[in-house]
Amino acid sequence: MSKAVRKIVEESREKGYTEIDLGDKGLSNIADIPGLTQLRNLVRLTLSHNRLTTLPESIGGLESLEYLNVFHNHIEELPMALGNLKKLRYFNAAVNRLSSLPRGLGTASGLEILDLTYNNLQKGSLPGNFSQLRALYLGDNDFETLPDDIGEFRNLQVLVLRDNELIALPKTLGNLTRLRELHLQNNRLTVLPPEMEDQIVLGPSHVFEYIKTDAYKSVYERHVESAAVPPPKREKEKNAKRSRRK
Amino acid sequence: MPVQHELTQNLGYGIGNAICAVCQESFGVDERMVNSNGQILHERCFVCVQCFQPFPEGLFYEYDERRYCEDDFQTLFAPCCKQCGKFVIGRVIKAMQANWHPDCFRCEICNDALADSGFVKNAGRALCKKCNADEKTKKTGRYVCRKCHTYIPEGQHIMYMGEPVHPWHYNCFSCNKELDHLCRKRDTELYCLRCHDKMGTPICGACSILCVPSVKSLFMVIVIMKGKAWLTVKLTTMRYSGIKKNLSIFPKLLFGDVCFVCNKAIVGDVVNALNKCWCVQHFTCIGCSISLNLRSKFHEFDMQPLCKKCYEKMPLELKKRLKKAEQTANRK
Ligand SMILES: [Zn+2]
Ligand SMILES: [Zn+2]
Ligand SMILES: [Zn+2]
Ligand SMILES: [Zn+2]
Ligand SMILES: [Zn+2]
Ligand SMILES: [Zn+2]
Ligand SMILES: [Zn+2]
Ligand SMILES: [Zn+2]
Repeated sequence: MSKAVRKIVEESREKGYTEIDLGDKGLSNIADIPGLTQLRNLVRLTLSHNRLTTLPESIGGLESLEYLNVFHNHIEELPMALGNLKKLRYFNAAVNRLSSLPRGLGTASGLEILDLTYNNLQKGSLPGNFSQLRALYLGDNDFETLPDDIGEFRNLQVLVLRDNELIALPKTLGNLTRLRELHLQNNRLTVLPPEMEDQIVLGPSHVFEYIKTDAYKSVYERHVESAAVPPPKREKEKNAKRSRRK
Repeated sequence: MPVQHELTQNLGYGIGNAICAVCQESFGVDERMVNSNGQILHERCFVCVQCFQPFPEGLFYEYDERRYCEDDFQTLFAPCCKQCGKFVIGRVIKAMQANWHPDCFRCEICNDALADSGFVKNAGRALCKKCNADEKTKKTGRYVCRKCHTYIPEGQHIMYMGEPVHPWHYNCFSCNKELDHLCRKRDTELYCLRCHDKMGTPICGACSILCVPSVKSLFMVIVIMKGKAWLTVKLTTMRYSGIKKNLSIFPKLLFGDVCFVCNKAIVGDVVNALNKCWCVQHFTCIGCSISLNLRSKFHEFDMQPLCKKCYEKMPLELKKRLKKAEQTANRK
């Protein structure tokens, strides 16, 4: 770990800085940066573009942390201690190698924006209890289905599910009355048409309005009755690349 | 305070061994006595302590147990108005460690009379509540509610009729629920976020196209294809290719733009991009957290900004897809 990093942390401690940017510093572990996780006043921490494979449990010591960005690392696992960060509102772990999430994450229930784009997550890895969540980014993951609980995230305004393996959407999505953005393209959904390759951004209340109509119900019923087999998995470039890297 | 008295009554003539409260001497037989507020005195002693003249029409002022005629009392004790310098007889406004005629005590900024409406001391000045609120806001940047005159917690104010107020003084025009700072104005009425969003955008019955009354228009088309009805939702005119024309910063026109990141009503300039509003300082690259501005080039990643540098660091495969999505969006 470089002297520069050590100096940044030391200076932050002395001067009581509330923000630290340790992006692109070639870090592979933050546990060995002296004093970093003892910065009790730290509000924003950026660790993007490093080579971190995990975060230490000691991260729970950053009791003032509201904004944590670990975008583009090699993180495979997150510590339970994230759940201790009671003030955490924004967590970006996009472009990592997560295949599961610690259940503790759900107890950090103040989370408002959670970005897990471009990981290897699937059903079951999503902890519940995100009552404050306003935006959930799950694009470029491996979800085939979503837990019904997702309908409990009543404050969701943005839900990104594009580029997963989704075969069906849970009906509970209809409960998300605040949704403003729903990104669904590039899944294996058949009830919503394959033409949806463009960026999909919509005021979903209207879509759900339509989905509630009898006309749509009969379309849906016919589809279910036909017991159509969902399209097969495609070999995604992302996955190909991932397996090569491992 | 001096008390104004009327001569109450003549007691009549000498009673035994009574003595005058002023000169401590007794009264002669048949000498008239004056009773003033329980004190008995000679008629000759019932005079102004300053000019020794009897009181015109029996009117005198008592101060420190001594009696003065009106003229002398004013000269010696009556308060002078700090504004016009004249004596204040009758209602005296005691404020700011001085005396004032009710009509002379006015707000130092707007000159409104303060005697009845009350005033607030602000840096040695007497100000009306409104001017005080303005001054406080100027100094602290925090708004003072025009309805209840207390500070409004940061980010919680709404502007109504051009003035900052606590939202909870108002109710939603549609559902009558008490409002919070997320409420929106539509035409001249206030609505809770929920009702505001519900009004949403009407679907055109004739063409089944969703009409959005803004620069961004979304099309919802129901197409009949292979004998089945499909719901197609397409984004059309949005072009966020990371070129500066796509990012506009403009002065806030409506209150209640809520920042996507901090979820607070935006005070000051609003960045309006990617179908969202952002505080200028919260419009940051999702990759490196760096602040973006009007000149920044950024790429759109799930309707969030990704700066050019971060884009370059992305896996090649992802870069290709982002690029392709951008080109598709641009072609439309
Ligand atoms: Zn006497
Ligand atoms: Zn006199
Ligand atoms: Zn005066
Ligand atoms: Zn005034
Ligand atoms: Zn108020
Ligand atoms: Zn309402
Ligand atoms: Zn903000
Ligand atoms: Zn960046």
